[in-house]
Amino acid sequence: MRQLFPEAAGGLSTIQGGRRAAAAALAAIDPAAYGRSRNHLDGAVTRLSPWIRHGVLSLVEVREGVFAWLERSGQPAQAAAKLINELGWRDYWQRLWRQLGAGIWLDREPLKTGHLPEDYAAELPADLVGGCTGLACMDGFVRQLGETGWLHNHARMWLASYVVHWRRVRWQAGARWFLQHLLDGDPASNNLSWQWVASSFSSKPYLFNRDNLERFSSGRYCRVCAAATNGTCPFDASYEQLQAQLLGGPSC
Amino acid sequence: MLKPVLWIHGEALGPGNPALLAHPGAQAVFVFDRELIAQSGLSLKRLGFLYECLLELPVTLRQGDVAEEVLAFARRHGADGVVTSAAVDPRFAVLRDQIATQLPVEVLEPEPFVELPEPVDLRRFSRYWRRAEPVLWARRSAGAPPARARRSDR
Repeated sequence: MRQLFPEAAGGLSTIQGGRRAAAAALAAIDPAAYGRSRNHLDGAVTRLSPWIRHGVLSLVEVREGVFAWLERSGQPAQAAAKLINELGWRDYWQRLWRQLGAGIWLDREPLKTGHLPEDYAAELPADLVGGCTGLACMDGFVRQLGETGWLHNHARMWLASYVVHWRRVRWQAGARWFLQHLLDGDPASNNLSWQWVASSFSSKPYLFNRDNLERFSSGRYCRVCAAATNGTCPFDASYEQLQAQLLGGPSC
Repeated sequence: MLKPVLWIHGEALGPGNPALLAHPGAQAVFVFDRELIAQSGLSLKRLGFLYECLLELPVTLRQGDVAEEVLAFARRHGADGVVTSAAVDPRFAVLRDQIATQLPVEVLEPEPFVELPEPVDLRRFSRYWRRAEPVLWARRSAGAPPARARRSDR
C-alpha cells in the first residue's frame, strides 16, 4: 500500500475491509443492547459504518438484518427502533447530499453562537492535531482517530464541539480532518453532523461538560488527566457557565 | 449494450452492487482517483480499507484519472458501453459525464432503504422521519413499533 500511495499519511487500520468482515459484524449486532447503551463509549454500538459507507453492506441489508434479529430474538419491535432510527439518519444525510451537492461545505443556516463566521480560525491548531493539548480525553480521541480511523459517535461530538466552540475553529476544517481519517468518512454524514454541532444546521450549538463526558466514558480519561485534578479542565463547569463563557452576543 | 464493462466506484463495494448483479462475469474496473486522494489528503488507513474491500470483488484495480482509466479499460476489452451504479457524491456525475462523451453509460439504481414519493421535506430529520418510519416498519410483516414519544432530532 505504501508503494502504491506514497503520499498518503499514516499506517493501516486494524479494522478490516471487505465483505467477510462486514458480514461477521452484521451477524453480531444486538439492536436491543444498542438502544440501551449506544451513547456510552463501551456501549453495544454496531461499528458497521465503514462498510455501509462504501456499500459493502447496503442499508437495505442492515435493515433486513435488524428485522431478522427481531424474528430470532422474539423481542418486541420497539427493541430495534433506535437502530432503525439511526439507519434513517444515514439515509437522511444521503438524501440531503443529493439535494445540496457541494453545498454541504457551506453553512446551511446562520450560526446561533453569537459569533460571526470570520471569528473562527480557518485552520486546526497544531497542538490539537498533534494530540498534545494536555487534555486526556481530546488527546485520546485524536490518537484513536489517527490510529484506527474510527471513533464512537459521542467522542466525535465531544471532539467536534471542542474544536468549534472551545478552540473556535471553523467546522469545515474539522470536517476535512475527519474525512482524511475516518474509515466511514462520508461528506454527507460528516459535514452535516459538524454543522449540527456548530449550530449552522440546528437550533443551538452542541456543548458538553465534564460530567457528561466522564459519565459516558466511565471516567477513563479524567482519572489520568492532570487538568481534571488541578482545576484547569475547560469542561468542568455547568452548562450555564459554559454558555456564558463560550457563546456571545444577544442572538443566543 | 451487448458487451459492456462495469465501472465500480467507492459507494458500491459489495456483492449487492446492481451493476455486478446485472452483468455477472463482465469485466469490471475500480480506479483509485488520484486527484481526489491528493485534494482530500486521504490517509493510508482509508485507502487500505478500500483496497481490502476490493480484494474480495471480481474487479481490476487501476489508479489515475478515473474517466481516462475507465475508457482505456473499455477499449482494451472491446466494450460497447459502461455500466455502473448510482452514487450520491456529485463527483460521480462529473466523471460519468466525462465517460459518456466517448461511450454510452448506463447507471443502475440500488434498492432504496425506504421508498418515499417526492418531494420529501428534508429541512430537519424529524420531518423526513415522520414519513419514513411508518413506511419502513410496514415492510416488516410483524408490523411497526413506534408509539412512545421519542426525540427524533439530534
